[in-house]
Amino acid sequence: MADFWNAYTETLPREKLQNIEFSYFKNLFSYGKSHSNLYKEKLQGIEVGDIKTFDDIKKVPFTYKEELRKWQEDVEPFPYGGLLGVDIEQVSSFRQTSGTTGRPVYVPESYESWQWRIESWCHILYMAGFRPRHRVFLPFGYNVYVAFWEAHYAAEKLGCEVVPGGALDTKGRVNKIVELKANAMTGTPTYCLNIAQEAVSMGIDPKSLGIERILGAGEPLPEATRKRIEATYDCKMFDHIGSTETCGFAGMCEAQQGLHIVEPFFLVELLDKDTLSKEVAEGELGVIVITPLGRRSFPVIRFNTNDVAIKGPSTCECGRTSMKLMEIVGRVDDISKIRGVLFSPKTVEQLIRSEFPEIVEYELVVTREDIMDKITLRMEADPKIGKDEAEEVAKRLAERHKIKTNLSCKVTIEPPGALPRYDLKAKRFKDMRGKH
Amino acid sequence: MDEIRKEISNLEQSAERLKALAKDNKAIQKNAEIILTFLYILKFITPTGE
Repeated sequence: MADFWNAYTETLPREKLQNIEFSYFKNLFSYGKSHSNLYKEKLQGIEVGDIKTFDDIKKVPFTYKEELRKWQEDVEPFPYGGLLGVDIEQVSSFRQTSGTTGRPVYVPESYESWQWRIESWCHILYMAGFRPRHRVFLPFGYNVYVAFWEAHYAAEKLGCEVVPGGALDTKGRVNKIVELKANAMTGTPTYCLNIAQEAVSMGIDPKSLGIERILGAGEPLPEATRKRIEATYDCKMFDHIGSTETCGFAGMCEAQQGLHIVEPFFLVELLDKDTLSKEVAEGELGVIVITPLGRRSFPVIRFNTNDVAIKGPSTCECGRTSMKLMEIVGRVDDISKIRGVLFSPKTVEQLIRSEFPEIVEYELVVTREDIMDKITLRMEADPKIGKDEAEEVAKRLAERHKIKTNLSCKVTIEPPGALPRYDLKAKRFKDMRGKH
Repeated sequence: MDEIRKEISNLEQSAERLKALAKDNKAIQKNAEIILTFLYILKFITPTGE
């Protein structure tokens, strides 16, 4: 029998969970309509009384990121505009999105909403096996972005000891892990690999660091990458998913088979990509639509994340009854067409992490020459291997890429350190078509 | 779970009363408000599901 952070909510029968989420949804709907200028306008013409059944939730329009931006630009009260759900004097912390896809969204957290968010995150860390015996190292200088703040406060709440690892370079972080005998960590998968690489260059075997648990954050974590990091550190690694707007809403348990949605904190709908009107069946691909059900300082109702995931079962060997997401396939926008073929950069990451341990960093660049799309895969080989071996790896990679993606590519070998290293969100896919 | 919910309700009444009793004391008021924040969460995580 697994142990749970909240043995009551985590094992409720599905029907009860659905009833609770339905009731919470109606509460949030009413709250948003009376407290947020965005929803006062957006939900005109639809009353809470119109939501009589669970299916009626689909009558409520989606919220899109672009709307959040629009309702904030030049709208009072500064800087949150029409998104604010409480009196501005109740806002206790500022967060913002990264702005990767446009103007950042400023997110107001009241003390209550922040604590609600932390409670939800406690489930994610607890599922990943974080316990009071862990000294958790957070290898990132956290700032205006939400990244790592949640992990910090939730780990504290679980009873772990938290070591903030900001204001250090990677070498300094390796030294701090060694000095303090930190035994758990959260980090982007890319940066976890970078730390390990740095440790090796310092003559330290990453396995000797004593890291038992890692929670991945900020980037997709393909199975092959997870296993590679586990083998590198001799640890267990877990995944989770979330965003600034939605909070962290799903995490991986000890069974490591998909991500459990943190219910009833979140109502997560997985809708068919074409019509966005039907819940997909288990095993099918759906767009993730989320409503954080108890956050009042920044009410968000039916937020269309544009992320695509495969719906999993609501059963698990761990005993939790929450719905699972089996695989986060990526953003709808990430899946592009190259020479008429659907292409997901995640496929290439999976290939490199599972079959090419000699490659320490890579980058995919798509360009258009005349009317032809061209893929260049820039790879950086482990400095320990020679030129001939690197060339053999490059040749094999080009062949495997063709088999895995149905697309040919040119592989180039870059000198050590030539490709960028990331400590937050890696940007290894560069679509340069139409940019010249 | 019913007993737990009842106790949460009792705590809520106590915290509200504490806040009212300490009208002139910001420190007590703020700490009572913080108790109420956690009571909001406690209520959220102990729903009846009916």
